[in-house]
Amino acid sequence: MNTVNDSKPSALELVEVRKQYGDHTALDGVSLNVPEASIFGLLGPNGAGKTTLIRMVAGITGPDSGSISFFGKYLTSEHINEVGYLPEERGLYKNMRVGEQAMYFARLRGMSKAVARKELLDWFERLEVDGWWNREVSDLSKGMAQKIQFIVAVIHKPKFLILDEPLSGFDPINAARIRKEIIRLRDEHGTTILLSTHDMSSVDELCDHVALINHGRKILDGPVNSLREKARAGKIDLIFRGNLISFTAALGSGAVLHSANSMGDNVHEVVLGLPASIPIEKFLKWVTTEVDVLSCSPQSVSMDDVFLRAVQDSAANKIEQS
Amino acid sequence: MNRWLIVVGREFKTRVRKRAFIIATLLGPILMVGAIVVIAFLAEQATHSDAKVLFVDHNNLITYSLSGSEGVRIPSCTECFSERSFLEYRFTNQALTTEEFIDSDFTAMLELDDGIMQSAKAVLQYEVAPSIRVTSAIKRDLGEAVERLRVKNESSLDYETYKRLKVRIGLVTQDIVTQDKNVQHKTGVGFAFAMFMFMFIMIYGMHVMRGVIEEKSNRIVEVVISVIKPEHLMSAKMAGIGLVGLTQILVWSLLSWILFIAFGFYAESSGLLVNLMSEHGTQVATTDFSSFLEASDDLNVLMQIDWLMMVGWGAFFYVAGFALYSSLFAAIGAAVESEADAQYLLLPAMLPLMFSYMVNMMILESPESMLATVCSFIPFTSPITMMIRLSVGVPWWHVVISALILIVTVYIMIKMAGKVYKTGILMYGKKPTLREMFRWLMYKN
Repeated sequence: MNTVNDSKPSALELVEVRKQYGDHTALDGVSLNVPEASIFGLLGPNGAGKTTLIRMVAGITGPDSGSISFFGKYLTSEHINEVGYLPEERGLYKNMRVGEQAMYFARLRGMSKAVARKELLDWFERLEVDGWWNREVSDLSKGMAQKIQFIVAVIHKPKFLILDEPLSGFDPINAARIRKEIIRLRDEHGTTILLSTHDMSSVDELCDHVALINHGRKILDGPVNSLREKARAGKIDLIFRGNLISFTAALGSGAVLHSANSMGDNVHEVVLGLPASIPIEKFLKWVTTEVDVLSCSPQSVSMDDVFLRAVQDSAANKIEQS
Repeated sequence: MNRWLIVVGREFKTRVRKRAFIIATLLGPILMVGAIVVIAFLAEQATHSDAKVLFVDHNNLITYSLSGSEGVRIPSCTECFSERSFLEYRFTNQALTTEEFIDSDFTAMLELDDGIMQSAKAVLQYEVAPSIRVTSAIKRDLGEAVERLRVKNESSLDYETYKRLKVRIGLVTQDIVTQDKNVQHKTGVGFAFAMFMFMFIMIYGMHVMRGVIEEKSNRIVEVVISVIKPEHLMSAKMAGIGLVGLTQILVWSLLSWILFIAFGFYAESSGLLVNLMSEHGTQVATTDFSSFLEASDDLNVLMQIDWLMMVGWGAFFYVAGFALYSSLFAAIGAAVESEADAQYLLLPAMLPLMFSYMVNMMILESPESMLATVCSFIPFTSPITMMIRLSVGVPWWHVVISALILIVTVYIMIKMAGKVYKTGILMYGKKPTLREMFRWLMYKN
């Protein structure tokens, strides 16, 4: 069920990847395709196997079986300098100064001193942490430290960037700034970004594609828009003034009333299921003869709903199977 | 390799420039020497609180009276009671009563035994205990006076001849095979080396553990090992921190050596050396520092130790011993998430180190015992035990075999620790048991 748009070449491709830790199966045959220059959301409850997957792509561990391709080649240690990694719950060395520390990580990623310094100063300015170069890490606020960590992850201009909960710990203003930087990296530098998060609002805002894993398996993936469309499944929200009973009668046999909610003053809010055979204009003509339609819109589906439903479905499948 | 060096550089630099390290490194030997100087100075001060001794010669044995003044007497041997800055005698044949003595300005009263010519005894009474320097000066003075009298009364020799004929035996202990002398003193030097070894392995081993825990708990390790293999990160950390220890040892040795030489110069130029020599009764033609050391029974060991060999092998055993123990500490650090959690795992790692320390105490007395020999081959004790054996002399092939065993063990330990490290460093949320850590050794990948 590969729903990813095939027009873009893939930056990362996992095929049937498995990983076992002792008795615990962390990944149970996961296949993924991350298109180039996109933001790919990796979602799932705690303990689903996200961290294991990320560590594999970061080159920290390898799969027990299955393959990982990186821009068309098998992922090896040669790709170290092309990957950027911002782990979750990260920290910095306490006994180093800010600039010195950033230089250390840049040089570990193979940058020369001169280039690293220039790039870092640019980033420091962009994220408004210039002037902190010679300060002690212990003087940094949490948000400041997070910015430094973000800079350190992207300083070597990686083709592929792994961000694990990049926005946690930021205040709304700085979160917006980092979000902007993430989008800029994709649009201006063509960076492919694997974004792991629990924060659905950032998925809605940032991600082009998503995959949901649970219990070591992928249970859903695809472009964000088409997933929403699918979850919507032809449902519409309708608000009208008039009699609910005569409205129900006017629906006839075509449409299904999922829920109805009285808002007072003879105003009702209903969710309707409309089969594809009935165009919405035709449907509206029917009902306007009985009631005053105040608003009509496709049901708004948040990614939250999509995922909750997917997780519930997969749990239900499991029970059926067993 | 390049990345490995960058990591080593960071581990080294961030520690070496810490204020605490700089102070400890520069002031360590100065503080140690300073403490000795202060003690010596205080002792000197104590002796400078001048003693005034009333010398009571009831039977007029070694003093005669000066006509006219009652009670005031003159020693028959004036050269025996030479003038000293810290000691002043008054001679009499009338003892003071306790009350009189307390009221007087005398600090002590020396009463000769009636049979002093045979018994060679005298009683020194005091209100405030005199210093050792005063009592030993009194003993020397009185002794010489009695001796002179005896020689005069009981022989036809003059005192100078007697003194020339008198024998003082110097006992030199020597190993018949190695021709090494004064082994007991040398073990002291070996012991000092071993203690430093123990101290440095302990202190810097803990640094490794703490460093590993820091990286693990703030997740930096994930970023770093996505760039460099975990085993390499571990070895780079050990190398960087080991180098810090080596730097400190080097600076301490150098500073101690400079201070020692400086003290030698000072002693030569200030005349302290001449004083020391006459007090030790050492007879040497020249009064330079090295011949003083050579002539001193206690200190000539400093001249006999093969310092180059001690320092060379010392450096080797430090590096190897540190690698051995710090790999253990690194594995422990990787397995836990806080220092508090590490305590129960530290015990088994520390035991062999503690054991070598205790063995050292035992073999200090018998550096050529079976225990010493066996322990100098066991890799966990050899870095510390071998230093004592090296100081007294050991067949070269013993050292070489011990070194080879140690190198092989270090290699195996680093491999094993690397496996535990690699697994532990990414494991959060549970305290592993020793058994679990052994299981990690079996993991592939």
